[in-house]
Amino acid sequence: MDNMIVAMMLGASLFLGAVALIAFLWAIKTGQFDDEEKFLNAVKFDNVEDLNDAIAQEKKREELKKKNYKPE
Amino acid sequence: MIQDGEHYFCCNGCQGVFHLLSDSGLDGFYQKSAGVQLTPPTQQYEDSSNFNSPAFYDKFVTKNKDAFSEVSLIIEGIHCSACVWLNEKALHKMDGVVEASINFTNNKAHIIWVDDVVKLSEIIDMIRAIGYNAYPYDASLQELHANKVRKEYYLRMAVAIFASMNVMWIAVAQYAGYFTGITQEMKTILNIAEGVLATPVLFYSGWVFFRGAYYGMRNRVVNMDLLVATGALLTYVYSIYITVLEHGEAYFDSVSMIITFVLIGKFLEVLSKKNAADTLDVIGKHLPNEVNIVKEGQIVVCKLQDVTVGERVLVSSGEKVLLDGVILKGEGSFDESSLTGESEPIFKKIGDKVISGTTSIDADIEFEATKDFEHSTLSNLVMLLESAINKKPKIELLANRLSEHFSTTILVLAFMTFAVWWAWPHSFETALMVGISVIVIACPCALGLATPVATLVGLSLGAKRGILFKEAAQLETMAKADVLLLDKTGTLTEGKPTVSTENKFQEFEYTLLYSLVKQSKHPVAKGIAKYIEKSVETLSLYALDSFSQISARGMEANYNGVMLLGGNAKFMHERGVEIGQSSSNTNFYYAINGELVALYELHDAIKPGAQELVKILRDKAIDVVMLTGDNIASAQSIAKEVGIEKVYAELTPEEKLAYVESLHKDTKVVVMVGDGVNDILALAKADIGIVMGSGSDIAVEISDVVLLNDSLHSLLGAFQIARTTFTLIKQNFAISLVYNAITIPLAMAGLVIPLVAALSMSFSSLLVVGNSMRIRYKWNRS
Repeated sequence: MDNMIVAMMLGASLFLGAVALIAFLWAIKTGQFDDEEKFLNAVKFDNVEDLNDAIAQEKKREELKKKNYKPE
Repeated sequence: MIQDGEHYFCCNGCQGVFHLLSDSGLDGFYQKSAGVQLTPPTQQYEDSSNFNSPAFYDKFVTKNKDAFSEVSLIIEGIHCSACVWLNEKALHKMDGVVEASINFTNNKAHIIWVDDVVKLSEIIDMIRAIGYNAYPYDASLQELHANKVRKEYYLRMAVAIFASMNVMWIAVAQYAGYFTGITQEMKTILNIAEGVLATPVLFYSGWVFFRGAYYGMRNRVVNMDLLVATGALLTYVYSIYITVLEHGEAYFDSVSMIITFVLIGKFLEVLSKKNAADTLDVIGKHLPNEVNIVKEGQIVVCKLQDVTVGERVLVSSGEKVLLDGVILKGEGSFDESSLTGESEPIFKKIGDKVISGTTSIDADIEFEATKDFEHSTLSNLVMLLESAINKKPKIELLANRLSEHFSTTILVLAFMTFAVWWAWPHSFETALMVGISVIVIACPCALGLATPVATLVGLSLGAKRGILFKEAAQLETMAKADVLLLDKTGTLTEGKPTVSTENKFQEFEYTLLYSLVKQSKHPVAKGIAKYIEKSVETLSLYALDSFSQISARGMEANYNGVMLLGGNAKFMHERGVEIGQSSSNTNFYYAINGELVALYELHDAIKPGAQELVKILRDKAIDVVMLTGDNIASAQSIAKEVGIEKVYAELTPEEKLAYVESLHKDTKVVVMVGDGVNDILALAKADIGIVMGSGSDIAVEISDVVLLNDSLHSLLGAFQIARTTFTLIKQNFAISLVYNAITIPLAMAGLVIPLVAALSMSFSSLLVVGNSMRIRYKWNRS
């Protein structure tokens, strides 16, 4: 019984750790830490306006993608 | 000061930028950049339509899979995070710009746009309009590759460190159980958990070692990777076997620790490797790829590579000459310092030859190309440079030589141990276990960390003193230097003439002379201006009439009917000014209305510490040689003063290169110190090229070491740091070898228990790191 508890705790904590690790790996892969200065300064520009701008840019990108699509 | 509503501006440029920003709703920039001194925008830029030319697009613009265009730019003028914000926002607001991301750390921008909607020139105009400048660079494959490798290591290390830390916690439970008793079921549970954690470490993080071992085997080299890979893999397999059989001790913790430690060492090496990619970028940046040619009476833009012999090429003032030829029309002076190192402009007229790679200072000429681009002096120079960079001799590093012998010895010892234990009656299992413990205990952790940690300490010691080593391995190379080659101007001397004596024949107004010399950018004129600034307190500038500068002669001007002349002896002779005796020094004569009033003698001062440097290096058995493009007389006099015996003067860049090559033939390790474009070939070819921080861009790029404060004291410091670091590397190796000499016999005798193995592994690594830190403290105190 004790063994089972230890095994479960080990499993659960390793699983949680793995989730965090995978999130970290994903962040590295998508280049979120590429520019350490910008990454540290990002918090300064974290306001509603900038978030809206980011969404607008995303939309514009999608639109341009559609418009720019040229079937070969 | 310009007032505009409630705002005040220093200039029109700033005002313009302000209005542009507030019109597009980006005035939040000023809030974000609060407290940062902004530089006023500069206005003179070359025509941006060049950026739309097909030649330019060919070279720098790529199409991505969504048919968007992409370019990499370097943005000049970024000094705070608000600048990054502003540039990104301003570009995002443009129609057709899909993405603009700017890296604050290296000022490189990556821009994606739709070429049908907006042209690159408009994007660059926008960046310029808000007060920055942008120029493209070729994000070459090498740089992309280097970044990819670095990222790959981050990923592998993240996994390795995460898993090892967790394995260690579980191992604590194992060790506690080892001494106080533990049930076999519990042990198996812990073993399984460790095994689960060790698996990704071995096969994902440790993949680099398997790869390295494979390539090593193919080249028939036993390297450290092979030792790490076999050690870790055997231990892993054995531990699985133990876990399944449910008796004995598993070594999963050793598996993940070996991989993690050695991977960190390897990563430190990768991190301190020089990025060769940027070098070639800069050469490209200095080479425009289009010229104006005259065809049937019309001026057409032509790709540099397409110009054939006999075509007429136009060069206007300030432009670079890109082809060799003979002048047909026009005259003026040229800066040939990139080829000869001579800073004096050279005057050329019709019928004279122009050489590619030189720059026109004030000449608008038309010349006939006598060679096509491929055979021109300039492309020869670039080719020589590229081959010098690529064929730089590599000194085999101590670590590489040592690790091969070490790895072979350990593998042989482990196998022998296994064979002996098995032959003298023990079970296969016990024999295997002892054999593996030899490999585990001989874990090359300490050996793998010995070089990277020591060089990292060396690099940071240098960085604090303004000495930038671009690659860690250079420290070791430099410690082995046999010959030091020194350039004269700008390296041993200040490179700026200063006034040594002033002879006044008549009283005169200093302000007038000051106004005259301030008009010129010639080094002699600058030296005199500086001298006057020092000796006279209140100065103002008069507006002079009809100022003209006669190259290699002097300058003349009028002020309220008074004729002012300033220049060298030749100039005075030509103007009929009586000057009497002339000496060998650089002299500046000043005459008012044809009468000599003052004579200034100038000389190029030697930098402080030159004598000391030469003496100390001589004591360390380093040969000091001076190489210069200057004439023999001035080279000799400087050499005598600092105590250099070997002097080679009047050398072309190619001759300097040849000299370095001849030293290499005698298997000498060569350190070359220089600052100018005329040194770059030799700098690139030398084992270590050291450049003064104020040197030309290309020289700084291709060098291996940069002395930021231009001082000879830091040059000496660089030698001392290199030698200290190399001693440190040797000490670290000694520590890890002595450690192995003690522990390996114990392991072979079968006396090592898992706890001791794991602890001693960490202990030896700590010893090596600690030893490296010791030097750091010693240096920091002194």
